[in-house]
Amino acid sequence: MKNLPSSLRERKRYVAFEVLSAEKISRSELINEILASASSLLGDVGANLCNLWVLNFDGKRGVLRCAHDRVSMVRAALATINRVQGVRVGIHVLGTSGTVKKITETFMIQVDHTP
Amino acid sequence: MTNFYDLNVHSAPECEDSPERLVSVAKRYGYAGIAITNHSNFWSEATGEDIISGIEIVVDKISDLKKNIRDYRSKVDVLLVHGGDPKINRAAVENSSVDILAHPSRYINQVLAKSAAENEVAIEFNLDELIYSRDVSRVRALSAFQTNLKLARKFGVLMVLTSGARSKYDLRAPREMIALAGLFGMSENEAIEALSKTPWNIILRNRKKMKQGYIMEGVELI
Repeated sequence: MKNLPSSLRERKRYVAFEVLSAEKISRSELINEILASASSLLGDVGANLCNLWVLNFDGKRGVLRCAHDRVSMVRAALATINRVQGVRVGIHVLGTSGTVKKITETFMIQVDHTP
Repeated sequence: MTNFYDLNVHSAPECEDSPERLVSVAKRYGYAGIAITNHSNFWSEATGEDIISGIEIVVDKISDLKKNIRDYRSKVDVLLVHGGDPKINRAAVENSSVDILAHPSRYINQVLAKSAAENEVAIEFNLDELIYSRDVSRVRALSAFQTNLKLARKFGVLMVLTSGARSKYDLRAPREMIALAGLFGMSENEAIEALSKTPWNIILRNRKKMKQGYIMEGVELI
């Protein structure tokens, strides 16, 4: 199937975040928790309008995609997450950007992988 | 840059994390400092860089409240009263030695708001309730916040936003706190003031009073 032309795609914002957690959590667990928390706080309708998705997550830092005009709602939804699969977590937004390239350059490149 | 302060954080011995641990996470999140405000039955003096000494007084009876305020007022920079009970809320806002009425719940009305404004007692919006509750209880918390916000605006009551953190996982960065406050209608400017200017003024006011030679506002022994 042909991709949508850029003029017809939804406008997006990319949100870089960092997770403070007692144990390592996986990307799929985090996606489920973010969607559940957003639908609990904003309702199913509001959560859909946010157009949420986690692009990448390495156990500590990650990038989240959302609708360009819903960033503050997404921040609130992220702030209400306190556990992922029973593991205590706190999520902290590092910054936002309009392009994947810029957000990766600014927040993801200098990730320290040393244990 | 704005200096943000979180004036309701609980540490060891009441909770698991040490004050140093909490302050290092808070600084990473963009705070200039946090107040360690353990409940009065766990109180011990917390000192350190960017740690503001505080207390949250818990009492059932009004006579105990007065006694506790006398005991602790000269030892801390921030004095909170554990609210939520209509009688305690009332006694707290009528006492100008109190800095903040913590989580007053929905027991604030026009009478209490007026005395809070007169005595410069700030009302706390403890966002812990939005972070930890779900469904019906969160709807109730939001509605109480909304009412309190309306009264505070009408009567010019000071407002503070806090995390009420009981561990490092409960702390939230200032921008997240502002977003959470937006859920019950607090504007961005009000939220920033409730995290920066109002807390700082409370701290300054008390430090000034604790200086040697202070007698009353405008009168000082030199």
